[in-house]
Amino acid sequence: MFGYVRPWRDELKVCQDRDYQALYCGLCRTLGRRHGLVARMFLNYDFTFLAMLLDGGRPETTRERCPAWLWCRKKTCAATAGLDGAADAATILSYWKLRDTVADSSFWRGLPARFLSRLLRRGYRKAAAARPVFDGTVRDCLEELTALEKDNCPSMDRTADTFARLLAAAAPPTGEAARDRATEQLLYHLGRWIYLVDAWDDLEADQKTGAYNPILARFPAGADRDYLRTTLRHSLNLARSAMALLELGHWEATVENILYLGLPAVEELVFTGRWKAVNHRDRRQDP
Amino acid sequence: MNDPYSVLGVKPDASDDEIKRAYRDLARKYHPDNYQNNPLADLAEEKMKEINEAYDTINKMRSGGGGYSGGGGYSGGGYQGSYHHQQYNSSQSASLYNQVRQAINMNDLGRAEQLLRTAPTQDAEWHFLTGSLAYRKGWLDEALQHIQTACNMAPSNAEYRQALLMMRQGGQAYRPYGYGNSPDACDLCTACMCLNCMCGGCGN
Repeated sequence: MFGYVRPWRDELKVCQDRDYQALYCGLCRTLGRRHGLVARMFLNYDFTFLAMLLDGGRPETTRERCPAWLWCRKKTCAATAGLDGAADAATILSYWKLRDTVADSSFWRGLPARFLSRLLRRGYRKAAAARPVFDGTVRDCLEELTALEKDNCPSMDRTADTFARLLAAAAPPTGEAARDRATEQLLYHLGRWIYLVDAWDDLEADQKTGAYNPILARFPAGADRDYLRTTLRHSLNLARSAMALLELGHWEATVENILYLGLPAVEELVFTGRWKAVNHRDRRQDP
Repeated sequence: MNDPYSVLGVKPDASDDEIKRAYRDLARKYHPDNYQNNPLADLAEEKMKEINEAYDTINKMRSGGGGYSGGGGYSGGGYQGSYHHQQYNSSQSASLYNQVRQAINMNDLGRAEQLLRTAPTQDAEWHFLTGSLAYRKGWLDEALQHIQTACNMAPSNAEYRQALLMMRQGGQAYRPYGYGNSPDACDLCTACMCLNCMCGGCGN
């Protein structure tokens, strides 16, 4: 997806950082086991966060060979019950994002996405069979989003809402009404935050190409930076107040770190135009 | 009822002070101020009740030993998650707006939306309720715009003003110890910048 949802690692304890890395590797391994090698290529931080929300249990770790190091190196992989759900959601979303790109681009420009989505299709089918409701929601929400983009929708809430609802559906219902409501609100506002931060990140590029950008559509005369940051902070506050109602067990401190430090740091980087450089650097290091 | 000690997250042999501290921390976390107009206010209220009960139970159990001294200070009754009843000029819109408030309080957003659509005029209260509805849905930008309009139309209304203030602050949430205030955020930015400079330097 976007990879915005990550902890501020300077402030994690060593054991928390170790477990987070192991969970990231565990998600990669689960993607491989459930949906094949191609699905592993779409690994990102955002769904590690989802895995933490889905299961608070202490992870069991194993040492596994890592394909990113051409199977020469072993990494510690965590296994928790939340990983299966997170992996399914990740593959479904990756697949539909690719299909969306194919639909939005001309034949030649859409060719790489077409090729990748073809490779991912087997994995996607398995994931969709496991999470049919989420699959339907993703399809509907992305369709809605495309329609709003075509209409150049001036309401940034309305377009952000489609992505936020999509993410809110990523956690499978547990049957506990209170927990489900809190998880849904957390993910809704996380989705809203991701969508708007991404819109700001693309602002200059969209201005040049004339592509739809919800912030440009909402503020045709020029975006009000402070106003936007207030509404983003508000979404984060609503996500945090939802988190306070959840029992996150083993991952509580890491989720707290992400919501209170990681996301504000990413927002700051995006709004000061340094995000792409930092992200590129991080990608060359391993988590 | 759950074990009161596990509700407060302390061991049964914890000292009175430790229990008080645990209670205070949790009461701070679920304080109604953090859940004003929040769609999850009822859940926070339930949690608050649970902790209050647990704290009272422990105090009663221990009062035989003479360790308990006075209450904790937070009571669950202070805050109502619902809108206040108001007087309107026209009785027809009054009953309509009351129905809307009820629907919003019961989280029946579809009904509230439908009712608002049937309103004959778009006065200040209409804008305020439309904003409240948008807020419940998580549409914070539109919520702010409508509440702003309501405030402009009825500048003396305290309820609208308070809502507008909350929106302009960007809401409120509990902050755990250690995830500080703005100074920490500042440190973060400088830390990012430092990293970035170093990275840029090495990259060349």
